Amino acid sequence: MSPRLSVATLLLLAALGAPLAAQESSSSAPSSATPASAQPPEPEPSAETPDTEPTAPAAPLTSAELGNAFRIDTLTIPGPGELMAALNKGSRPNWQNEYREPIPTTFSSRAQIALNVGGLIADGYIALEAEDSQQVKNIGKDIITLAKSLAVSDSVIARGNSIIDFAENNEWSALKEELEATQNEVKLALEQQHDGDLVWLVSLGGWIRGTDAVSGWIANNYTPDAARLLRQPAIISLMRERMKTLPDKVQADPLVENVTRKLDNLETLVSFPPDAAPTLDDVKKLKEATSDLVEEISKKEAK
Amino acid sequence: MRNAALFTAAAFLLTAPLPPGVAKEPAPTGSAAEPGDAEVAARSEALEVAGAFSNDGFKIRDGHWVDGIAVNKPKIIQVNLFAGNQYWFIAAASEKAKKIAVSIFNEKGEPLLSEPYSNARQSAAGFAPETSGPYYVQVEETEGEPATFCFLYSYK
Repeated sequence: MSPRLSVATLLLLAALGAPLAAQESSSSAPSSATPASAQPPEPEPSAETPDTEPTAPAAPLTSAELGNAFRIDTLTIPGPGELMAALNKGSRPNWQNEYREPIPTTFSSRAQIALNVGGLIADGYIALEAEDSQQVKNIGKDIITLAKSLAVSDSVIARGNSIIDFAENNEWSALKEELEATQNEVKLALEQQHDGDLVWLVSLGGWIRGTDAVSGWIANNYTPDAARLLRQPAIISLMRERMKTLPDKVQADPLVENVTRKLDNLETLVSFPPDAAPTLDDVKKLKEATSDLVEEISKKEAK
Repeated sequence: MRNAALFTAAAFLLTAPLPPGVAKEPAPTGSAAEPGDAEVAARSEALEVAGAFSNDGFKIRDGHWVDGIAVNKPKIIQVNLFAGNQYWFIAAASEKAKKIAVSIFNEKGEPLLSEPYSNARQSAAGFAPETSGPYYVQVEETEGEPATFCFLYSYK
């Protein structure tokens, strides 16, 4: 049996509700650094018993190791869904309040299209958090339209259609996965078209719009704990690094130039000590800065 | 319904080309296997662990990292986490590895306590950050020959 078939079978069993996980952690009550209730998979009969005993802490990482750590777009940059999941823990945001007007879907600059695809994916997450199937379908259609203008359409259109189908059937959980998969499909298609430089712009567009929505909600429902979620200094720092590696032609795009310049300000706003919380004023400044960028990115004639 | 979506997503992960930004694995030295077999095996093993966590509501991120690994040559990736969420960081290696380990560090590089799970070539670390921000995850091979590993994570 091939490994591919093996895992597919296993996941099919999971889909059918077969009991997969019964291995109790041997550690006592979960610490604050421990996810509650997660259970690792049951080992195969031939495998040794999995080790779930806490082990001795590893040695600290050196500054060289920290500096040389891999930074991978699809793992290092959190998706909008992760930020919203964290915010949903302590509150029940009315995500419909964070909608924006529909954006144009005809742009001539590929950089601008990439930024807007990311923004639309974030819009999709907002709509699905609001469990608003019509809004999700509208956004799915806009994503398809933009994807067509990037000529990455075939696989992305299939994904976009899935988004619309899932929304039709109110399959919210499936939609979360489909939205992220759609975003990655766009990125993959860009890579295949030798437009890999634009991949980071998709992520950046999504981060800006996601942060715009979340900071907007926090600004209107301020608590220090919610405000602490906005601490994301490494993301902006990474985005700024990547922007410097864009081809000269892309960097010279007036919109890209402007977004790059404004990332400096954004970095300041999301960089604060781990034990501090931004004030309400700080959150409002972040909301204002990201809203300006969102508007600029989606403007038909971006300056 | 969630599980059906999981199945779709997992099948996609197994068959899809590497996403952008993902480091390509080096071909295993001296391997008679078809190129990519080690990667497929590692991804399957990692998804097997992640699939079990999904039963507890953890969402698998649609991204993964495949690379080579050897004893005393750990690989480290930066991730950005949110306080309040729970995470499982999962790694699995191809057959040449005998044992691997996953460890989590804060932004200063200090090791953090995590919920361990280790089953030979599969390893995972569960973690619920109290502070939002950057963290580092180290994947190391503790026993075996140079191999290919796949890393991914899930959250809820």
